[in-house]
Amino acid sequence: MAINDLPMLAALRTKMQWHQERQKVLAENVSNSDTPGFQPRDLVAPKFNSAGQLTASSAGGALPMMMTSASHMKAPGGTVSFAEDRRAGFQTRPAGNAVNLEDQMMKVSANQMDYAAATSLYSRSLGLLKTAIGKR
Amino acid sequence: MADDAGDFSRSMGIATSGLRAQAGRMRVISENIANADSTAQKPGGDPYRRKVPTFTSALDRSLDARTVALGRVKPDTSAFRLKYEPTNPAADPAGNVKYPNVNSMIEMTDMRSAQRSYEANLNVISATRRMIQRTLDILKA
Repeated sequence: MAINDLPMLAALRTKMQWHQERQKVLAENVSNSDTPGFQPRDLVAPKFNSAGQLTASSAGGALPMMMTSASHMKAPGGTVSFAEDRRAGFQTRPAGNAVNLEDQMMKVSANQMDYAAATSLYSRSLGLLKTAIGKR
Repeated sequence: MADDAGDFSRSMGIATSGLRAQAGRMRVISENIANADSTAQKPGGDPYRRKVPTFTSALDRSLDARTVALGRVKPDTSAFRLKYEPTNPAADPAGNVKYPNVNSMIEMTDMRSAQRSYEANLNVISATRRMIQRTLDILKA
């Protein structure tokens, strides 16, 4: 079993990937805050079951590629895709742009803080493993 | 940039496109403000016409994201300001001089808005940088 397959590390890794993806979506929203007719987007937060696996409801819309044989190649890019949050913003400007800059800034900082929490947990878990193998 | 670690640099690239677009908008605004009082060279001619920047959202294939770019800079078709100044060399036979359709109040608010958007994009870049730093900190643990 590879170290990345440990349920806790795998879940944290998925969460970090989600934050990475969300940062991209938020950057898109902020950079297009003056584009006419632009609708902001967001991602649905991932939900994990007790085994640390992603539940079906939070996975993306596209069907994932299955690896049924060891000789199959992995799908390029990220291993998980995340569902899009389709709730629209609460205000739209006359030009059709619905990006609320304050709202987006709050999301960016929240995203960054949650990512920091996930990375701290990840390094703590690695520390735990080091203790288990007897390294001080 | 399709590798795993490239996702943050994609966020950076998107925010950079926003910075570039807002900087271009600032250039157009400063052009308008600088020309707020310029008149025509010959009597009765048209003065400087106010320029309006437009934004377009384009799919960047290398970043796989919708980046923003400064579109065509369009002329503002509203009427020129008329002033009665018979002694001005640019005056028409009736003594009226056409001044540019630039309203410095509008330009100022536009400038503020460009500045805010620029700062928001910078904010995204610094937040992303802090996230990259956190990723690197895992290695140190």
